[in-house]
Amino acid sequence: MKIDRRSFLGLGLGAAAGIALSPVGVKLTDDSSIWTQNWPWTPVPEDGEITYDRSVCSLCPGACGISVRKINGRPVKIEGLDDYPINNGGACLHGISGLQYLYDPARIKTPLKKTGNKFEKISWDEAIALVAQTLGKIRESGTPESLGLITGADSGSMAQLFARFMDAFGSPNTYTMPSLESNLALTAAALHGADRRLGFDLDHSDFILSFGAALIEGWGAPVACIQANASRCERKAKLVQVDYRLSNTANTADKIIAVKPGTEADLALGLCAVLLTKAQISTGRLFGDVNKFAFATMVVKEYTPAKVEAITGVKAADIEALAMEFIKAKAPVAVPGKGRGDVGQSLREFAAVQTLNALAGRLNKEGGVFVMGPADYLNFPENVMDEVAEKGAGKDQLAGSVNELVDTLEKNGGLSALFIYNANPCYVLSNPEKVKAAMDKVGFKVSFSSFMDETALRSDVILPASIFLERLEDVVSGAGLAKTVVGLCRPMVKPVFDTKHPGDALILLAQAMGHSIAQSFAWESYDSCLGEVAEKIWENLSGDGYVVIDDRPPAGTPATDFSFLASGPKAAEVMGEGDYTLVPVDKMRLAGGSMASSPFAVKTVSDKVISGKYSVVEINPATAGALKDGDVAVLKTAMGTAKVKIGFNEGIMPGVIGMPRGLGHAFNNPYVAGKGVNVNDLIGPVIEPGSGLDAAFGVKATLSKA
Amino acid sequence: MIENKKAHKFGMVIDLDKCTGCGACMVSCMAENNVPFKEDESNKKDSITWMRVYRLTNGKSFPETQIAYIPRPCQHCGGIGDHGHSPCVSVCPATATDYGYDTGIVSQIYTRCFGCRYCMGACPYHARYFNWWDPKWPEGMENYLSPNVSPRMRGVVEKCSFCYHRYQLAREQAIVEDREIEEMEYQTACTTACPAGAIVFGDLNNPAHKVHQIVKPDPHPDPLNHKVVGKSRNPKVFRLLERLGTNTKVYYMSDREWVRKAGDNYLKGEWENVKTHHGASSSHG
Amino acid sequence: MDDALIPEGAKRCGFPTFMIGIVIVGAVLLWGVYAMFLCWFKGLNQTNMNDYYGFALWIWADLAVIAVGGGAFFTGLLKYIFKVDELKNIINFAVIIGFICYSSALLILAIDIGQPLRGWFIFWHANVHSMLTEVAFCLSCYFAVLTIEFIPNILENRQANKVPFFHHLAHNMHGVMAVFAATGAFLSFFHQGSLGGVAGVMFGRPFAYREGLLIWPWTFFLFTWSAAAFGPCFTLLVTKITEIITGKKLVGDKTVHLLAKISGWMITTYIIAKIIDTIYWAWVTVPSMGFKLSHFYSNNGFYGYWILITEVILCGVVPGLLLINKSTRENPATRTIAIILGVIGVCLNRWVMVLQIMAVPVMSFDTWALYIPSWQEVATTILPVAYGIILIAVAYRYLPVFPQELELNKSADAAAQN
Repeated sequence: MKIDRRSFLGLGLGAAAGIALSPVGVKLTDDSSIWTQNWPWTPVPEDGEITYDRSVCSLCPGACGISVRKINGRPVKIEGLDDYPINNGGACLHGISGLQYLYDPARIKTPLKKTGNKFEKISWDEAIALVAQTLGKIRESGTPESLGLITGADSGSMAQLFARFMDAFGSPNTYTMPSLESNLALTAAALHGADRRLGFDLDHSDFILSFGAALIEGWGAPVACIQANASRCERKAKLVQVDYRLSNTANTADKIIAVKPGTEADLALGLCAVLLTKAQISTGRLFGDVNKFAFATMVVKEYTPAKVEAITGVKAADIEALAMEFIKAKAPVAVPGKGRGDVGQSLREFAAVQTLNALAGRLNKEGGVFVMGPADYLNFPENVMDEVAEKGAGKDQLAGSVNELVDTLEKNGGLSALFIYNANPCYVLSNPEKVKAAMDKVGFKVSFSSFMDETALRSDVILPASIFLERLEDVVSGAGLAKTVVGLCRPMVKPVFDTKHPGDALILLAQAMGHSIAQSFAWESYDSCLGEVAEKIWENLSGDGYVVIDDRPPAGTPATDFSFLASGPKAAEVMGEGDYTLVPVDKMRLAGGSMASSPFAVKTVSDKVISGKYSVVEINPATAGALKDGDVAVLKTAMGTAKVKIGFNEGIMPGVIGMPRGLGHAFNNPYVAGKGVNVNDLIGPVIEPGSGLDAAFGVKATLSKA
Repeated sequence: MIENKKAHKFGMVIDLDKCTGCGACMVSCMAENNVPFKEDESNKKDSITWMRVYRLTNGKSFPETQIAYIPRPCQHCGGIGDHGHSPCVSVCPATATDYGYDTGIVSQIYTRCFGCRYCMGACPYHARYFNWWDPKWPEGMENYLSPNVSPRMRGVVEKCSFCYHRYQLAREQAIVEDREIEEMEYQTACTTACPAGAIVFGDLNNPAHKVHQIVKPDPHPDPLNHKVVGKSRNPKVFRLLERLGTNTKVYYMSDREWVRKAGDNYLKGEWENVKTHHGASSSHG
Repeated sequence: MDDALIPEGAKRCGFPTFMIGIVIVGAVLLWGVYAMFLCWFKGLNQTNMNDYYGFALWIWADLAVIAVGGGAFFTGLLKYIFKVDELKNIINFAVIIGFICYSSALLILAIDIGQPLRGWFIFWHANVHSMLTEVAFCLSCYFAVLTIEFIPNILENRQANKVPFFHHLAHNMHGVMAVFAATGAFLSFFHQGSLGGVAGVMFGRPFAYREGLLIWPWTFFLFTWSAAAFGPCFTLLVTKITEIITGKKLVGDKTVHLLAKISGWMITTYIIAKIIDTIYWAWVTVPSMGFKLSHFYSNNGFYGYWILITEVILCGVVPGLLLINKSTRENPATRTIAIILGVIGVCLNRWVMVLQIMAVPVMSFDTWALYIPSWQEVATTILPVAYGIILIAVAYRYLPVFPQELELNKSADAAAQN
């Protein structure tokens, strides 16, 4: 057979026709579409039995009850737990995205040791031995007080366990990061005595006067506050918001009192003065209180409506009317702590607001402020303290507050070792560069962080903590709530990485150190420790998942000591120069403290807050000058310079620039970090004498087109 | 549809005066429905948010400024006359999105969608999102994905389904126990998450359900605009772009007139005439 | 070297010159192909489309090439059904242009969809309510018809025609071409209309939405009409360009004038209908949805009334009048201006009916969305242009596309020989 061109062509055409008519084409077409429906790189979640497990969220002080949905034991969704006394089924976006923290790209997966500038993986045994050895040397040298602790938590067994370690070791140098809880405790200590907590009974108040408190944007227990606000609306109870911008809280308020930033305390004192003069509240009514006459004399003289008008910008007549409305309400309450009430706060302001409550007779009244004792449900055995410990623990603290500690360390040093637990001072405190410099003065830093955050990055050894979904812990509600609930946070999943419960890490460390310290920590594990120390409530706690310690007004009226205010403390000066006042703005969708936001939370954030790599600042168009909405501008303060985007916002006081808090993280999580500027970089601390608080509510700034 | 059983018409009413713009609904939705995320989500025009919360203001200057947050899930339109021809369903060439006559829910079949995006153009609410990218989770994070909602592949359109899988689970249970679905058995993830209790979800056809009691939907066409069916007889309740005849099942509620007005477009003077008009019965009575 | 393939008696440039041209255009084509593969393998994140712009440059290109490709069906209709025999001189070229336009449209669609491998679902899971389904069916069928119409012309190639089977096939196909022309016209009527319907049925988009007749919105009829009106303009424009490049007269004046005249009347009647439609829409449809006309043309950085005026007056009324007026029609300069304006006009109309729809905010709190295509989108849009140029070049070189070519260039050839 001869194959010529024609027959070849014919063969080819025939074959083509044959294939076209055969099922091959159809099959391939069909198969290719089926392939697109099952792309191997698109995950297919494993199916299985659905179960629900309950726990408590400890991402923030809110301590909400959560329900975790699992598939074959694998957690897939966190939701609010119905009938839980704090959040009653509600949840916030950070809690709902809790599972993202389990697999966060910035999680620390094993114990680490810093060699040079790099972290090196080590085993738990090595890590514990290394820390024990270093600390042992410090003790041997007879300066146990040179071990410091910076912690965020200040209640519950973990806080007590750390405190116990510091005691047993022999150091008084424990410092708590500023939080609403700690600021309220400080206020209570100044006004009503040590070891008290303040709780605001928003659920039963008919007139809430909020001094900038972002009640629905993360102040206190966020979900409880949002629910209190919803019920307030239904009860037609009034909310008056003192603020310089239209926060979401201000937006939900019945009335906004526009004040210049940083003059909230003056307004509160002005209202006190009106109460003492116009409302005929005689100082005599404040029976048994310290320095009440001195205070009354001072406030009536220095804070007349006219003077307060000059300071705050609120009309004298409005001040008088507000004071009268407040005092005439059935159950009024004044709430301090602008924003989330954690950083940039002053005792002067907190005390002034609390004094307003005291003058109005709102202490320990339903719908008022509860002055509560500590949540006393833990019984630790006597701490075993050797001679070194006794001697060290008896020494003076190096500084009065974490802010002062940073100052002292940066200038003179003074600590040879530092524990950091539940805190990210290198991000949260004003002027983080200074904090970092202070950290560098400490020879040996041990971090108990779960995430490689700004502070963990600067540590020498990291004993990585399991996160709340991987561990057992008692979580005490606090944060301005008028009730005390202890919830049980339980492991929802085995630790995903080679991490440990920080309690276990601490126990192992104590035992490795031997001697009296080991005797103080003679537990097998944290879990058995908790069962023992919380024995009083353990049955209910482990059974119901929570125990309500108290939710009624405490009996009697506590005495008030007016000395602090009577001494006429001055308002914090704003640093620097410029036409604008830059203030941080707390946003519900952005975590601001030591906990960074989750990818989901960041995704929900408006393009008027984050735009690409930029923070967007709020500015009233009336004072924007030549700048236009969306422009890139250079923001300059005494502390630093940042490129930001301009976001016109009618709802902010002219002359004020609002910058979102919670951005500008610098660690390895591309979904969260590397976006915008950390507002704290631009603000320098202004330490308030007497309280040690960083009272820098803002800073002067200039703005120019980039 | 079984004849002697009345069809459901699931819908919601969102109280805009209660909504705090906290974003819990958005995240609950993302977590429930395996919504992916990418490094930069600040371009909201390519950010998949089945539930998106819009922020609008009254345009006045501080301290007279007012904000309203409008959470916007898929509106589950019934289309003109509420006959089930939603703007998107009627245009999908491949029947990849469908109207459930027994639930009123507009579904999306990801494996059938071939990504022509006509439905997105047809939807005035921007409730539909395209997977411009392959969905990717950081290492290990795919461990939290739920099997109840399949992750979508690149190149298809996705949107809110009123958590249809929750309806399926509740229905299965009800069938096993030979009874009707209870109101609280089927609730969307956004509804259950809202800490302010601003969202009420249920069967608009069932007078026992809270959503029906709040909305009081008018079963008759609006005498002023016959395209519109199911207009609320509650003067505080409105729908988005109601005049277009999309007949959405997501209602909104506010005491504030400027907010209600922002729900639709009005020519000069029209609002004054229509703001008191709420459904056929009230206009007759 | 390819002399054996060149039509008998026809003059063509040398093969190397031809290849240089092909290589240059081919480079552009490859650029487009590269972008196309990027879109296929990496996905549509290669474009600047977004959730506001689900339809963008590609869909515009699609609608535009189908509109200007309308010359094929309309010329076919006139030639085979209405027996306007004069058009036999341009019908081959009209068919080739149509073929290019429609194959390009299909290619662009294959890039545009997010799941190209599932594209056939549009047939398999067809939703009969969708305008796009109608488009897909008619478009594919009509493309088959165009292929059939193109085949006889290919078989007339000097070498192919030597095969008796091909010779007879071509001959017989010419004989039954009226059937295909009728089918093509019918199909075109529907898919051109359906493409108009794509926009017109979107009742959630007041800028697009039109009332209409039964299930067909007015845009359905306007699109068919405008394709028939402006399609011939494009055929004439491409003919003109081909004449300039080849340096030859290819179609007789009589044919050109006739087609221009028909086009002119079609444009004029179309634009009257379009103006009535616009007025009705602006004064009745849109206000009933709560919008003022100005809403669609203000508060943004691009879309102003200028676009409406340009489309309707400058690129609609003006070319219509220029082409129905004998003196301007027969004046090559004004005629060329008219056909260029016409082609711009119909493309602008398709732009408005795709992109402006997406740009206009509908919810009172939404904002205008503007869009600039990515280079990948531009490259893939230019790709069909390059492909079209190559196909025309090859067809012109090897096929007897223009029946009048030899006759019209006799004297020139003679002059050249002397």
